Amino acid sequence: MILLGLALIAMVLLGAPLFAVIAAVALLNFARDDVDLTVVIISIYRLAEMPVLLAIPLFTFAGYLLAGSRAPHRLVRITDVFFGWMPGGLAAVALAICAMFTAFTGASGVTIVALGGLLYPALREAGYSERYSLGLVTTSGSIGLLFAPSLPLILYGVVAQQLNIGQPVAISDLFLAGILPGLLIIFMLSLYGLWQKRGLQPVRTPFNIRDALASLRAAVWELPLPFIVLGGIYSGYFAVSEAAAVTAIYVFIVEVLIHREISFASLPGVMRDSMVLVGAILVVLGMSLASTNYLLDAEIPARLFTFIRDHVDNALSFLLLMNLFLLGLGMMLDIFSALVIMVPLILPIAVGYGINPVHLGIIFLANMEIAYLMPPMGMNLFIAMYRFDRSMLDIFRAVLPFVAILLVAVLTITYWPGLSLALIKH
Amino acid sequence: MTTFPVPPVLARMIKMVTWAENALLILMLALMVLLAAAQILARNLFGISILDADQLLRLLVLWVALLGAVAASREGKHIRVDAIARWLPGRIKAGVAVLTDLFTITVCLALTWQAMRFLQSARESGEMAFGALPVWASGIILPLAFSLIALRYAIRLTHHVRQALGQEEPE
Repeated sequence: MILLGLALIAMVLLGAPLFAVIAAVALLNFARDDVDLTVVIISIYRLAEMPVLLAIPLFTFAGYLLAGSRAPHRLVRITDVFFGWMPGGLAAVALAICAMFTAFTGASGVTIVALGGLLYPALREAGYSERYSLGLVTTSGSIGLLFAPSLPLILYGVVAQQLNIGQPVAISDLFLAGILPGLLIIFMLSLYGLWQKRGLQPVRTPFNIRDALASLRAAVWELPLPFIVLGGIYSGYFAVSEAAAVTAIYVFIVEVLIHREISFASLPGVMRDSMVLVGAILVVLGMSLASTNYLLDAEIPARLFTFIRDHVDNALSFLLLMNLFLLGLGMMLDIFSALVIMVPLILPIAVGYGINPVHLGIIFLANMEIAYLMPPMGMNLFIAMYRFDRSMLDIFRAVLPFVAILLVAVLTITYWPGLSLALIKH
Repeated sequence: MTTFPVPPVLARMIKMVTWAENALLILMLALMVLLAAAQILARNLFGISILDADQLLRLLVLWVALLGAVAASREGKHIRVDAIARWLPGRIKAGVAVLTDLFTITVCLALTWQAMRFLQSARESGEMAFGALPVWASGIILPLAFSLIALRYAIRLTHHVRQALGQEEPE
């Protein structure tokens, strides 16, 4: 058994697809307990029994349509005209737009590739240093995971709902809980941008009302999008999956029928590419439903909790240890597999320490945001390295101050539950 | 990558399978978007709901997810840890990939087998998914997808073996 375990770990480290490794874990464990192995298939079939999962393909499709159109250009233009003249303004709004874009596309690499390439020259032109600009666009991929309707938030809710922890984890609550912590991160990084601009020539182009109106008019179709989605969900008018359907059809009409920036000929390609991401995420989720099933049957989270409680006596030290663990983990695993693998283990323990499950979700995702940027292995670093054709060392140096600021933000989010929970109605 | 000398018949068959996979995936997604939108319109404008639409939408999620996973297998885009493999030199990397390919094929064949057993027992019990759709029909995608993923990894395996032997340029 130990040998088999080591062999499976070797498979993970050598780069076998995670879904296959998780499936093997589930199959082997159920086989050892003499359980009929169709239980694994029945767990995967449950992907067809969770209404909220519908949101994942629909939001992802919408995100890919947005990324493939000229919407990023229009957004950057607005940023530039409205805030280019303001000290630190461009950086602040660039961060906000990246956050919004990541929230919709769910995958941080897309933001770096689609927006980073446009923002980098704009920032340089506005007088920001090369190092700062590079750091910002690399970081841009991470900020925004905390805002609705980001896929990791939805996925955390889905996984948490499987666990019977005795407390409801509503996805709409997660959407509310992410707002203030997300704003805190943008605020702190914006202050850094302002500080960067000290002593530089402030004005590049004065504010021009005609340009401003033109840029607004160009993006008139995209700008209502966050309000439709968030307003619809928060007002209770739409369920999450309905908001996803409205977003998909709205974005389709805007980018394909009105702007015509995605041709009907290229549409199948966009559809397929977006579903490659969805398939990769959901097949891991499906397998982990099977392995989570086993974990719960074998009462492994409960045993882990007993073990950890003997060594860690309070919630604060548990959270600190968890932060360290997640930062390490996040460098190895992408956010989706980290969620489906670790949440079933960590959440029951955290609840044992009296931590609110919604708050835990926000902590988890905030940690993952940094882990993407942590040298030497964070995923965003590699994407930025390829996208901007820089050496790894350049990228490291550029993101370090950002990582430091994000660490402070994560500690604040961790130890100040009110920040996450204030907006939720009790 | 140099071309792999597969018999033309086989190459044509693989091409047809690829085409069918893509067509089915795109069709399912289009159906999902349209049906979800129609359902919202019907509910909000006319206060009615389309019969079984919610169940069908949920089933489409499973189909789209598995077909997406098949497409991801084709392009090697499954979620994996590449922290180590990234740094390995070409031929050793291919050799490691041979191992992980074999592992993935084995697991997918086991899943295919279990999925067939699942369909068999669903068929015997005559259980219905919803409406007139039996569970076994709604679940056909399960063995289909896992066997197609195994096929894709078998194709990747042949490339990786040749790369490891130095008969083909590594990716």
